[in-house]
Amino acid sequence: MITLQNIEKVYRTSSIETLALNNINLNIRKGEFVSIMGPSGCGKSTLLNIMGLLDEPSKGTVELDGERIGQYRDKELARIRNRKIGFIFQSFHLINDLTVLDNVEIPLLYRSANGKPRQSYAKDALEKVGLSNRVKHFPKQLSGGQKQRVAIARAIVGNPEIILADEPTGNLDSGMGNEIMNILQTLNNDGTTIVMVTHDEAMAKRTHRLVRLFDGTQVL
Amino acid sequence: MIRHLLKLIWNKKKAHALLLVEIWAAFMVLFGLTSLIVINVRNYNQPLGFEYENAWAVLLNNNQDTTQVAEKIQRILDRVEAFPEVEAATRMSGNFPFSANTSNNRIDYGKRKTLADFFTTDENFAKTLNIPVVAGRWFRNADSVGKYTPIVLNRKAKDELFGDENPLGRVLSDRYKVFGVVNTFKSKGEYMSDNPAVFELMDAKSAWHSTLLIRVKPGTDAAFEAKMVKAVTTMVDDWSVEVNYLTDSRKNRHNLTLVPVIIFGIVSSFLLINVALGLFGVLNLSIARRRGEIGLRRALGATGSGISSQFIGEIWVLATFGLLIGFLFALQFPLMNVFDVEAGIYLTAIALSTVVIYGLVTACALFPSRQAALIQPAVALHEE
Repeated sequence: MITLQNIEKVYRTSSIETLALNNINLNIRKGEFVSIMGPSGCGKSTLLNIMGLLDEPSKGTVELDGERIGQYRDKELARIRNRKIGFIFQSFHLINDLTVLDNVEIPLLYRSANGKPRQSYAKDALEKVGLSNRVKHFPKQLSGGQKQRVAIARAIVGNPEIILADEPTGNLDSGMGNEIMNILQTLNNDGTTIVMVTHDEAMAKRTHRLVRLFDGTQVL
Repeated sequence: MIRHLLKLIWNKKKAHALLLVEIWAAFMVLFGLTSLIVINVRNYNQPLGFEYENAWAVLLNNNQDTTQVAEKIQRILDRVEAFPEVEAATRMSGNFPFSANTSNNRIDYGKRKTLADFFTTDENFAKTLNIPVVAGRWFRNADSVGKYTPIVLNRKAKDELFGDENPLGRVLSDRYKVFGVVNTFKSKGEYMSDNPAVFELMDAKSAWHSTLLIRVKPGTDAAFEAKMVKAVTTMVDDWSVEVNYLTDSRKNRHNLTLVPVIIFGIVSSFLLINVALGLFGVLNLSIARRRGEIGLRRALGATGSGISSQFIGEIWVLATFGLLIGFLFALQFPLMNVFDVEAGIYLTAIALSTVVIYGLVTACALFPSRQAALIQPAVALHEE
């Protein structure tokens, strides 16, 4: 599903070059639940951004469903992100000025979906994460766990094949973290491919496969 | 997407309140300025109705001399007319073209009434100022023998008093009889509106009207002016004589009209520049604060140009809210006929101001929105 070959990422400033990823080769199969672990600054998020087409590698190739992404234009990349990939972030990234329902609808806005079906899909997604009673709430009125569930609803509202989760339980206590993990496992059981960056060994053990990074290099 | 933008702006209405007030105030100032400009442009496009080149106003002041004033003025007029440099000469009231003097009065025909500018003059007025008579004829001195005072109307006065009816031979205010109609007559210059005007045949024995209007041959210069003034003062020792070229008087009139518009325009420009700088700053700040949201939207499927369009769309929605409030105020002007100005002028001014406001906010949003489009999603998401 996602194939990374010889991925290298170098961040350059006028005075310094930082090698964030070095010779990463990774193949994520359809339906897999893969966790990526490693110490802070080892390149986990960079790797996830490259998989999510939010960042370009300095070297190497990214293939999605057998297609090389390298030459794709902004419009095509945006379309793939919108149709195939769902994102979940550690800090939720909800828009505070929009209600829960409006936040969940955002990916559908970029598909030019009409208002009523858009609301219907968003409500379905919120029901899946157990927040159908909070549609008119604003993010500030929710707990951390509820915010992350809204973020998951937003990630799944467009039925993506892949979910990329960057430390989804990082800002939550263990109880909330387990709840979020249960939801992710349910989604994976329903066929969604999930790649998750985590610092939590216990969470990583609940996934199919573990990839370890150290100083930008894949060690496992 | 429009509904999404509306929600986004509506939910942040408190934060945007000052910006709304700023846009509303800019619109109102622009509305005032464009109303003035539209009025002046419309007036300018109407014909003046007379020729002012080579026309001079000779202002006679009899000072302490009160004996046979009318006869003396007539003799002066005859003398001036006799100069070979003078093509035509006429005598009239003090409100000669482009002067600061005004004389107006109510005049009625049946139930119709209007307030008209009155010009008291003689049979040579139309000839001196090359005013074409479009209906009937200009009065002659011999017409004064009748019961009614002969008058000529301009078209505006004719329309207000008679509509489509033929005015010739009709009696107005039980005193005046219409002999002819001229087209426009904008005595205060091109930027003034064409008010109803009545030209009344003067009583030759009246001592009141001591202004002469003369048309001189092209190329006649100040040397002739000096010769003429000397000739006049020789005839009436104690009188003073002042000559005004109508071209100069016209320039003074224009200045009186245009200077306030220009000052208002400059003040408005400064205000608009301030509004533009304010909007630009607020948008830049907003984009800096919303980098995380921009990164998120890119991750969820927005293109760079989509982000740029969103920010321009947001400022348009905001401008629309500000304009809607502005329309509530501005529309009162045509509805309540404020300053007795045509509704079309106000509506044109509203349309022009709206276009300028949208143009202004778009110009202010272009650069920040382009900057927003260039934000790297991975970097922006990592910053939060």
